Amino acid sequence: MAVDEALLRCGGKPTLRLYGWRPHAVSLGWFQSLSDFADLGPTTPIVRRATGGGAIHHGDELTFSLALDAALLPHDIAASYALLHDAIVRVLRALGVPCRRAPVGGPQSARPSERWCFAAPVKDDLVTDAGKLLGSAQRRITTDRPRVLHHGSLVLHRPQHTPFVAAVADHVEVDDSLRARLRRALVAELAASLERIPQPGTLTAAERTLATTLRDDVYGSQAHLDRRP
Amino acid sequence: MRPDDLKFQKSHEWCRIEGDTATIGITDYAVSHLSDLVFLDLPAKGATVTAGESFGEIESVKAVSSLYSPVSGEVLDSNEELADNLEWLSEEPFGKAWMIKVKVSAEAPDLMDGKAYDEHCKAEG
Repeated sequence: MAVDEALLRCGGKPTLRLYGWRPHAVSLGWFQSLSDFADLGPTTPIVRRATGGGAIHHGDELTFSLALDAALLPHDIAASYALLHDAIVRVLRALGVPCRRAPVGGPQSARPSERWCFAAPVKDDLVTDAGKLLGSAQRRITTDRPRVLHHGSLVLHRPQHTPFVAAVADHVEVDDSLRARLRRALVAELAASLERIPQPGTLTAAERTLATTLRDDVYGSQAHLDRRP
Repeated sequence: MRPDDLKFQKSHEWCRIEGDTATIGITDYAVSHLSDLVFLDLPAKGATVTAGESFGEIESVKAVSSLYSPVSGEVLDSNEELADNLEWLSEEPFGKAWMIKVKVSAEAPDLMDGKAYDEHCKAEG
């Protein structure tokens, strides 16, 4: 989480970061109350994301963050989701996972009654017949220019606390070969959708320094978790 | 129509400065791009805000956006009813959907008048 926010705030080139979770953990949306998750018990690590939406139990999944200038995405938030989700639909269909963008969804104007991101798909969420397959959320800030952090969580196997989600493993065997192909294809398709040529990279010194500060002072602190107790 | 006594920030906040007090909110343009608002966080009375820095957050469906203060100073009042009445932001963004009132100690250097703000919105698309 700290690295993702550092990538957002430092304002560098568009950066796609792929990662997973060890140990498996729950991430809360920015506005969620910690007390709504008291039933998870002390053995489930919890972190608060900078992005919005509902909580996600990050088990065996492919997580990605995309940090970039807002000008590189459609101005409309829904259109920016559609662009990125269409790229991921292409990736997954090519691998044999029949998914789609949901044409309709639950009510969006009411405050979410569901605490889990995957519980109630809304329009443009990426779904299969079994349910929601990808959790997505954004944070938008303005530094010297508008910037966007987009988080995505693609479920490979169903996690313990959210057994109602769809999973890539419902359709294809998730082995090391599949994981590698999935990562390569995701990089290629997301880059193509943004009209970029992907290049491997590492964090800059400024991004590393800020990530360390954010880890120590924000994401690793109980106060941050308790900002909505 | 936007009232003509406002100043604007590139990040789409407005402020009305009367004496040493600034009333701050977000513009109709910002609201139109933040559909389906669900949460709002504002600073409490007595807090301090800094020009150009975040004073709160607003969440539309799955996107949290930071709100930036056009002025520095102490928060004199915070619109506590707004979080439970987010539709006001669509209905009266420059009226009852004001967010905070601040005792101004300094203004951001790059606030725009209405004409310049219109051009900024056109450039953003």
